[in-house]
Amino acid sequence: MSDSKQKGLSRRQFISAAGSALGVAAAGAYVFNQMDFNKPPISNDTPMPPSTFSVKHMESDVLVIGSGMAGLFAAVKAHDAGAKVTMVSKGRLGSSGLTPFAKGIFSYDKNTSNMSIDQFVAKVTESAIQTNNPVFTRQLAEHSKARVEELKEWGFFDSPLYNETFSRPINERGIPLHQRVMITHLIKENGRVVGASGFSLDKPNLIHFKAKTVILCSGSGGFKPSGFPVCDLTHDGTIMAYKIGAKVTGKEWNDGHPGSAKNSGSSYDNWHGQIEEKPQINGAEVRHDLGVDMNYQAYKIGPPITMGPPPMGPSGNNPKRPEMTQIKGGPFVPSAFRHRAAPPPEHEGGILALFSGKKPGGGPPPGMGGEQVGGSSAGMAIHKSEGLTPINETGLSTIPGLYAAGDALGSHMSGGIYAQIGSSLAGSAVQGAIAGEAAAQASKKISSVAISSSRLRDIEQEIFAPLKRKRGYSPAWVTQVLQGIMIPNFVLYIKKERLLQAALAYVEELKEHHVPMLIANDLHKLRLAHETENMIITAEMKLKASIMRKESRCSHYRLDYPKIDDKNWQAWINIYQDEKGEMAFEKQPFGTWASAI
Amino acid sequence: MPIHQISGCIGCNACIESCPTDVIKLDEATQKAVIQYPEDCQICHLCRLYCPVGAITITPEKSIPVMVSWR
Repeated sequence: MSDSKQKGLSRRQFISAAGSALGVAAAGAYVFNQMDFNKPPISNDTPMPPSTFSVKHMESDVLVIGSGMAGLFAAVKAHDAGAKVTMVSKGRLGSSGLTPFAKGIFSYDKNTSNMSIDQFVAKVTESAIQTNNPVFTRQLAEHSKARVEELKEWGFFDSPLYNETFSRPINERGIPLHQRVMITHLIKENGRVVGASGFSLDKPNLIHFKAKTVILCSGSGGFKPSGFPVCDLTHDGTIMAYKIGAKVTGKEWNDGHPGSAKNSGSSYDNWHGQIEEKPQINGAEVRHDLGVDMNYQAYKIGPPITMGPPPMGPSGNNPKRPEMTQIKGGPFVPSAFRHRAAPPPEHEGGILALFSGKKPGGGPPPGMGGEQVGGSSAGMAIHKSEGLTPINETGLSTIPGLYAAGDALGSHMSGGIYAQIGSSLAGSAVQGAIAGEAAAQASKKISSVAISSSRLRDIEQEIFAPLKRKRGYSPAWVTQVLQGIMIPNFVLYIKKERLLQAALAYVEELKEHHVPMLIANDLHKLRLAHETENMIITAEMKLKASIMRKESRCSHYRLDYPKIDDKNWQAWINIYQDEKGEMAFEKQPFGTWASAI
Repeated sequence: MPIHQISGCIGCNACIESCPTDVIKLDEATQKAVIQYPEDCQICHLCRLYCPVGAITITPEKSIPVMVSWR
């Protein structure tokens, strides 16, 4: 427990922060309380020596990384297709990542729906302004009901907590489950993925997992923002895949969830206790839900910002909210999705779509009561729009043997916009099942895989590095600096070249100078150190992709390029490492597939 | 404080396992859960909901003022 006294920031570190990186943000708003000032600075006088670690080896056909909705179905379906499966998770089955907070799940029933699958796909494409991949949109609708029926059998709809439900099919199949193990590295040999490595959060164990195929179900991430329960997700899967050469996509899109101005750090209160509700099923109803529009309102007219009937399109006015008439321009809303008739009831307005089951007559949706502040999910893109670039409908990445599903896969299921309530959770179930079965089949064609001992030694050195440094930077401080750079609304939400470049200069400084000096003196801070690096690389991706996309579309809004540019930007952006190890970018036209590297 | 107090812990580990951000640790000496990293609490209440004996109290304020995109 003595260790807990070593946390926090010194006055010297704080002053340094206020005078440097936070200068790009609102330095005055960022003040630490007395408790933190009173703590001594972090030092590594008593580091945790790597020699205390045990090194363990595991082996399976299919390794599933992550234990949310996508991981559950990936593991179950890979097992049922005959593969020997191992599941590993930084958290706990069904109670980590975003899954435990998702309470609405989409189920398309062709017998009862008022639209055909073709109509559903066309409507999503219209809402998404062509940014969706219609193959994944159709897949969602075609498979959602079957997955929801399986969840019913496992008791999913009977409890607000998912651990017991998720444990049922995993335990029945005897699938080995390693919880509270942070995977930091994917392993590639001879051009294909052959496993992953990481460490336990509870005891000094470093674990190498050898596998014929790997499915990343590790979710997306944010910058540990406040008011949204995403702080355990730091794009770990995306960044470790990028580091072994995978292409990733969708980094310019933004989830725009606001939070309550009162207690904006509390995700439970922002969500009005929704976590205590049992999940519900949603039918087809295509929408166009942004969130970036609220950042635009705040940017143009200033706070206070309250939820209410949305503006009636760029040229409309809104008699109930006269301040809206001052606002010109802003994110484009396709005409079919503008509210020309009477605005919907307040509790159905805005971007409630994301997770919520509808609450008729209930209170305001998550995060939307009273005065609002933005950025509660900062660093996260629209669900399913960022992550590994798929090369086909099974979620296979550009690296042979490496699959992704759910928010770790850049499937662009509904593009850079929220189009269907409950599709986030359903999409994870659908994609997890398909990737699981495909990975199991692919594993059958591989007799064995080998990993060189020198590669394992290199990985161990990288994992241990923050423990071995005698001096350096606290990951918590570096993360706070990153938040100060990236979260203000004039950086990622209301984008313009000058500020994107300015933020990029700070982020590149963190990557080049501070990441190599991150320190940790226990397993918790070792996790924070690796998470911090992943967030910083993600920030670089988001800024560079946002600079490249010189137009506005869906949740990517450029103040200096406010119009849709169909001539140049009917394309997604792939990000990858070039032969020199530099971050490289390419356009991939909508409606095409990337090719394997 | 975010996660504020654990009182009446039976040492079952449920809160430790269910915390997404690794805020709670087991005190080896007492075999009871302790709040070790309150600044990393995202105030999601999963620990409280999984605790079988209602030992955990949580308040809605973060221990460190938070960065938001406007205020």
